[in-house]
Amino acid sequence: MKIVIVGAGEVGTHLAKMLSREDHDIVLMDDDTEKLNKLSSQVDLLTITGYANSFKDLKDAGVSKSDLLIAVTPYEERNIMACVMAKDMGVGRTVARINNAEYLEEKYKEKLRNLGVDELIYPESLAGKEIASSVKQVGTRQLIEFSGGKLILMGIKIRENAPVLNKSFEELSYIESEIRAVAINRENHTIIPHGHDYVRAGDIIFFITTRNYMNKVFELTGKEIFPVRNIMILGGSRIAQKTVERLGDHYNIKIIESDKIRSQKIADRLENVLVINGDGRNLELLKEERIERMDAFIAVTGNSETNILSCHMAKKLGIKRTVAEVENIDFMGIAESMDIGSLINKKLIAASYIYKYTLGAQVAQAKCLTASEAEVFEFIASEGSKITQAPVKDLGFPEDATLGGVVRGQMAFVAKGETIIQADDKVVVFALPSAIRKLDKFFK
Amino acid sequence: MFNFKAIIKILGFLLIVEGAFMLISMLVAILYSGPDVSPLLNSALITLGVGGLTVGAMFKAEKRISKNDGFIIVSLVWIVFSFFGSLPYLLSHSMPSLSDAFFETMSGFTTTGSSILNDIEALPHGILFWRSLTQWLGGMGIIVLSLAILPVFGIGGMQLFAAEVPGPVPDKLNPRIQQTAKNLWAIYVLFTLAEALLLWLGGMTFFDAINHSFTTMATGGYSTKQASIAYWDSPFIQYVIIFFMFIAGTNFTLSYSAFTGKFDKVYKNEEFKYYVLFIVIFTAIIFSGLLLTTQLGYEQAFRDTLFQVVSIITTTGYATADYLTWIPFLMVLIFTLFFFGGSAGSTGGGIKIMRIVLLLKNSYYELRRLLHPNAVIPVRFNKRSVSEQIITNVLAFFMIYLIIFFVSTIAFTLIEPDLNSSMGAVATCLGNIGPGLGKFGPAENFSQVPAIGKWFLSFLMLLGRLELFTVLVLFSPAFWKK
Repeated sequence: MKIVIVGAGEVGTHLAKMLSREDHDIVLMDDDTEKLNKLSSQVDLLTITGYANSFKDLKDAGVSKSDLLIAVTPYEERNIMACVMAKDMGVGRTVARINNAEYLEEKYKEKLRNLGVDELIYPESLAGKEIASSVKQVGTRQLIEFSGGKLILMGIKIRENAPVLNKSFEELSYIESEIRAVAINRENHTIIPHGHDYVRAGDIIFFITTRNYMNKVFELTGKEIFPVRNIMILGGSRIAQKTVERLGDHYNIKIIESDKIRSQKIADRLENVLVINGDGRNLELLKEERIERMDAFIAVTGNSETNILSCHMAKKLGIKRTVAEVENIDFMGIAESMDIGSLINKKLIAASYIYKYTLGAQVAQAKCLTASEAEVFEFIASEGSKITQAPVKDLGFPEDATLGGVVRGQMAFVAKGETIIQADDKVVVFALPSAIRKLDKFFK
Repeated sequence: MFNFKAIIKILGFLLIVEGAFMLISMLVAILYSGPDVSPLLNSALITLGVGGLTVGAMFKAEKRISKNDGFIIVSLVWIVFSFFGSLPYLLSHSMPSLSDAFFETMSGFTTTGSSILNDIEALPHGILFWRSLTQWLGGMGIIVLSLAILPVFGIGGMQLFAAEVPGPVPDKLNPRIQQTAKNLWAIYVLFTLAEALLLWLGGMTFFDAINHSFTTMATGGYSTKQASIAYWDSPFIQYVIIFFMFIAGTNFTLSYSAFTGKFDKVYKNEEFKYYVLFIVIFTAIIFSGLLLTTQLGYEQAFRDTLFQVVSIITTTGYATADYLTWIPFLMVLIFTLFFFGGSAGSTGGGIKIMRIVLLLKNSYYELRRLLHPNAVIPVRFNKRSVSEQIITNVLAFFMIYLIIFFVSTIAFTLIEPDLNSSMGAVATCLGNIGPGLGKFGPAENFSQVPAIGKWFLSFLMLLGRLELFTVLVLFSPAFWKK
């Protein structure tokens, strides 16, 4: 696939690296030559110095012969303009990054589509959604629902008290066959587990299961489930506002924001929230606001260091659920090992969302596991494809990928060795980047 | 810190490529049923064998290579290629010693074209073909060829590409390095075929036509005749060769633009304009000089001038006239051209037009900066301002180039006491040109140089072909520190 990415910021750079590794032809455009030079010596792509809203530069980038244009500069207007211009030149599909929730409304979306902007990405909104779902579901690091919740993926950190500690995955499958471990994050690496691998303390294990067995997963991993009522959010950023919108009215939410004017704005906009004007790094202030009574603590200031440190502090004070926004991708590994709960990176979320536009028609959904190399795909098995022709264990599926579960009509079940996939099943597959290309042939 | 296993594995792969080309030369030998079939076959078997064994032994090496590994690979591959490439000469007893054969092969791969042969016509066809082929392979680059045909490099490919392609900043034609390399080679092959056809029509035998188009497009300068191009007393052949030398000295990405219909990119290219300008100026001066000082007719004088100027500026090194017989003023003009070289991204050697232009512009702007101390005066090239970093890099390149030239000339006078000849030999090898001055003029060759001198000159050729930095960085202590 020929893809033009406009904007070599963190989202653009991350996408370019990821897509170039998967044999797409990438042209990356930015107005900063230095930034491009650095990247072009590391990644196999073509870089062009130019402006997103210049006809000539877009033409030079070969937009007219490309399949996909991804406009991810920090400026919404430029992104939309670039999409409109590129569509006019004949690009297959366009994606623009926006900062305005209004555009996401269905009636306006339609208007933008008529202009030539096919898809819209609002990273802050996506991050808010992700945070809200991870707060609602305590005990997990990440929770992804497939086919309206029929299949559920849970990323869970294993601690010393987990009953499954030091058991092999083969044993696990005897204990409960409806739960399957599909990926492990261990010491900054992602492994696709096989029967003889063991569960170790400190692992983040991704389990796939059906809704009825979720409690069983918590039981096996020694997680106790508690209701979340009181939430403290550090920083009144757009992500915070989107999170509050997503959470709804059932929670007591306190937002701590250091900027006076911004505090007032948030207080204006969000009625059911208590906005406190003060510095979130001030422990006195946090204690005054009864931080120890909180069920969840979310740090989404624009500063990754502040977020990491304050979550660390919150954990020390005994808060069970913490979420930190970490925007520097380099920090993710360190932060992961610091025991500060869930990590959110809006760039990675946006990138994995855009990523699905580069995949074939068989893919219904694609997601990136947080702080991990593995990716999850929801494939639709087509009639007569290779995947339907033998039980799973005889398929010769790549080592670095695994089948998670299957949704068949209204039913959903976890994949086992003797499962036979039927046509039109939705199949949830986990894969490391090295395996993604190999998957296509199983589903075509 | 270095991934030596991967380095050795890649070298092994490249040796297999070299072995395959030896087999092609063997086919030529079979065609002419010469005595060189078995030497070529044995060379190919040895090269393929060593290549195959190393790849086999290192098959499980991790693929990822760092930038530093890239420098080692590129420098080593040219040396290793030259050692194995001299096997056909040694096994067929075409050349008396390893130092001779190595010099000839290195001179081939680096497209220098300096020879140690006193009687080229005495060599069998297969060996001659291999000799021209080394230049053709070296012209576009061994790594670039391998990038095009072997998917062994992984992400490090761009670094290797940048280390081998001449010029301060490499151009990429396509998002994929492999596709870029394929396109470059496609253009190269196309031009080679076109030239061979024209030369054949012009009266060369098919064998000579192919060999000369190999060495023209590579700006190499090996000929199958002792008298070089002067052997054919044909203006048509000379003009055809002038044209293709000229093309070979341009940036190949321009030819690609022309093929895809983007002609404005060609005539708006600043380097191309200056390249033409330099050729016109030097031709005009030398042409008038020859008219005044010799009895040559207009056409002959013009043709001789244009041929020598293009041959030297593109660093090809063919000769149709002996510039040493011209008056000293004209000879020194030709020697000045030794330092120009072709365009960036061409197959030519030397300093490169782009660097010369940047140097001149920067020096000129320095005067204006003196007059307006607070003015912001960027160096512009192709209508874009060039970053300080590139200017510094070009200045350093020029400086190092001159230092190497002077120091090597001083060192070489120990071997060759005549200053003229010594300067010429060093400049011609460093610039990958071919003929030098004094005892090493177009009518002479390098066979009289003692063995140590040949090794020394071979090293200079390598330095020049890989544009100094790639090789010199290996000699810096910082490179080897952990």
